[in-house]
Amino acid sequence: MTASAQAPAHDLPLVSPELVTELLELARAQGGEFAEVYAERGVHSGLALEENRLRHAQYSVHQGVGVRVIAGEQTGYAYADGFDPGDLREAARVAARIARGASAGARPPAFRVVDAPPPFVLHEPAPLTLETEAKADMLQRANAAARGHDARVHEVSASMADSSRRFLVANSDGVWAEDTMFLARLTVSVVAADGQVRQHGLATGGGSVEARYFTAERPPESIALDAATSAVTLLAAREPDAGSWPVVVAPGWGGVMVHECFGHSMEGDGIRKHSSIRATQRGQLVAAPCVTIVDSGRVPFSRGSFRVDDEGTPAQRTVLVQDGILVGYMWDVLNARLANERPTGNGRRASYREFPLCRMTNTWIEPGPHAPGELIASVDRGLYCKHLAGGSVNPADGNFSFQVTEAWRIERGRLTEPVRNATLTGNGNDAMLKIDAVANDLVIDGTTGSCGKDGQWKPVGVGQPTVRFTGITVGGTRT
Amino acid sequence: MSLASDVARAPGDREALARLAADAVARARRAGADEAEALIEHTHAFTVRVHGGAIESLKQSGTLGLGLRVIAGRRVGFVSGNDLRPESLDDLAAHAVALSRYATADEANALPTPDEAGTGDAPDLELDDPAIAALAPERRIEMALTLERVALAADPRIHRTDGAHVSTHFGDAALANSHGVARAWGASAIRAYVVPLADDRDGKQQSGAYGMVQRQLRDLADLEAIAREAARRAVARIGARPVPTARVPVVLHPDVAGAWIAEMHAAFGGDQHLKGTSWLLGRVGSRIGSELFTLVDDGRMAKGAGSEPWDGEGVATRRNVLVDRGRMAMLLYDTYHAHRAGARSTGSAVRSYAGVPFIGPHTLYVAAGTDSPEAILSRVDRGFYMDDQGSYGFDDVTGDYSYQAQGFWVERGEKRFPVEGVTVASNSLDMLDRIVAVGSDLEFESSIASPTLLIGEMTISGS
Repeated sequence: MTASAQAPAHDLPLVSPELVTELLELARAQGGEFAEVYAERGVHSGLALEENRLRHAQYSVHQGVGVRVIAGEQTGYAYADGFDPGDLREAARVAARIARGASAGARPPAFRVVDAPPPFVLHEPAPLTLETEAKADMLQRANAAARGHDARVHEVSASMADSSRRFLVANSDGVWAEDTMFLARLTVSVVAADGQVRQHGLATGGGSVEARYFTAERPPESIALDAATSAVTLLAAREPDAGSWPVVVAPGWGGVMVHECFGHSMEGDGIRKHSSIRATQRGQLVAAPCVTIVDSGRVPFSRGSFRVDDEGTPAQRTVLVQDGILVGYMWDVLNARLANERPTGNGRRASYREFPLCRMTNTWIEPGPHAPGELIASVDRGLYCKHLAGGSVNPADGNFSFQVTEAWRIERGRLTEPVRNATLTGNGNDAMLKIDAVANDLVIDGTTGSCGKDGQWKPVGVGQPTVRFTGITVGGTRT
Repeated sequence: MSLASDVARAPGDREALARLAADAVARARRAGADEAEALIEHTHAFTVRVHGGAIESLKQSGTLGLGLRVIAGRRVGFVSGNDLRPESLDDLAAHAVALSRYATADEANALPTPDEAGTGDAPDLELDDPAIAALAPERRIEMALTLERVALAADPRIHRTDGAHVSTHFGDAALANSHGVARAWGASAIRAYVVPLADDRDGKQQSGAYGMVQRQLRDLADLEAIAREAARRAVARIGARPVPTARVPVVLHPDVAGAWIAEMHAAFGGDQHLKGTSWLLGRVGSRIGSELFTLVDDGRMAKGAGSEPWDGEGVATRRNVLVDRGRMAMLLYDTYHAHRAGARSTGSAVRSYAGVPFIGPHTLYVAAGTDSPEAILSRVDRGFYMDDQGSYGFDDVTGDYSYQAQGFWVERGEKRFPVEGVTVASNSLDMLDRIVAVGSDLEFESSIASPTLLIGEMTISGS
């Protein structure tokens, strides 16, 4: 068995195969067709600095087991904190009640260990390698770098969070998969002030990374400088012009647009239940012909990557849109079973306290032929979106919005002045059709994203090259 | 913990939690903490989701967790976990003390004393309804099925829903600190909502969502009324389209006004004023908005969805008037920031067991005005009625407001047609100043509530 990062070889399973077998039998004792046991131990640590002080150092350990039973289209779920066998058996009996029959729980077939290759290997995962002392020092260096950048930097807060999550998932089809994942993230938030004007900048670094990422690739100082530069730049920014404009979105995190506007509508639950308009669009043109969209859990060092998903399915690359045509959906076990499809490694859950949902992993737009500068040079008047904050979509009606924290005005093909607090809106049904040019500078941002669905938050990566939309409604106060 | 019993928690559970909290504090002191505080929460939850006339999922959970905050040498360490065996508590305590070494020593780091926390018993806030725990699982399932069935039957253009959901929560909490503060309390909640989908042109669909959360089962609105309101919202959106960019009066539906005050709340935090990052910096005591506007953050409103007798540090909660008829009346503090500012905690520390306390809202609402929502609409000659929005669009530092918006175009006091694909923007200080009407329609359906508000002018960005 391999893991996406090294785990000590002597580690015993979180729950013994004998007990897992017993739980699976109990779980199907009322006639459930499918049962699954998911055991997890999660360790989180965090440090927070503000007003030049390290406010506190934190640590948490949460562990437990969730049992899921599927009967037809119905899911029963119960969990127990900890690994007490009595509590686990009780959780299995409660979950079993989703099925109302009385057939004896069949013994699951012999377990087959899922031995998919890891998408990447961490030799020195940051959460294991970095001492608290080193992390505290990183925050102090970020603080000093941001404050040293410009006299107008008024307040700096910085936080370091890392985690390890070890899990075991086994089911009544005989799947047995284990993995351990590591995440680390350093966030710097800067408020700059000039007289009565105050502005805010934010930057992060991290992912599923090794300790040397924070020395070689993304030192705390560089994260701090990005945040400070953004805050100071925005002091001189103007309000956006309200209206519909050509919009060019910077590479990387801008991929949050394809995630929200398009990705959610391609998740197997909405497809199977026909609550997504994409359910009937396979083979149809759903994006401009220059657009190819991919979801893959195998992007190196991204937060959205893994060896196996939270149902034990190996991570894979799934092409959703090829040259504008809808060619594939994302599937978890439940929805794939019901829709007669194959799981694509998109079954994910926030913790053992939740049952898995069909979720994106790393989702991006593939690169096109253009140099990024060309996309701006041919716009007479429009908006260049450099930093987006969050975005949201209502998957039922397609309405989306994105908060753009730092944008630039495009006039006659040039970036002329910074713009603050722009909000982009439109409908996901046609957003991908409005792309008229895709550049060749793909960046997949696996450092910071978390996606929320049905109250469950899950780390994801998003990406795109520089992309231009023909016309998007830009919110603002200037008319 | 027993997941089998879906009925009320065992008698004496609360006392057992209190003993466990006191024991954790004692272990932390032995591990070297100068001061220690333990919060333990034991919660039970049951969630049913139905779709297409059948159960989609049933989930039952029981969670027991501990958060332990220690101060050693005026430095703070914090640990949390759900393994509460004695040897694990000793490990957690030792870990907390070891971690505190890395934090900065700060004279303001101190847990509340009994004097600071407030003496005396809390009044009965009616937060805990045994009828919720006693509700049979079959009845909860039937409630969700009813919500969906009524929504589907409400209009011929509704053929599907995105599900109906009923969930119940009840639990107990106990907090103890090494100064002798000891609290224990319980609370329950029931939440019900449904999301009908209405057919629109060109294969498009519109969604309506409506529901509420209540502390008392009897306060949950009639399920058929909830479902019909959700259906009304979905159908009303059929044919929605953008409008041209304009500066016009905007009516904020209670949901939209509520979302605004929820974002606004952080600007009243004493932490933001100490850091100099609030858009309300230097405004305490001065007029920040229309005299029609009064904003209250009440920890002790009976049956309030955000009410609790004690805050996340065991300090007595209270009714805090943040804005009194347009005047910014006060700042909110937890114990640390109160010490920094030379003030007293306002009982505003919020948290779960798994996190450190921070300054946050309890039951937050805009006081009701005198105009009916119909009377407010009739005052708009040409404007926008905003009843839904995107999730992102507020700037904490500047108070800038810019949201994706849905609603209706209004002419001569009447809604003319549904609108989508637009944004609504302004700055919160301008909005506060331009409140020209406050509705009488204040209803408490979550921990945040507002009546209808009319803002004299905002910018619509559209086609």
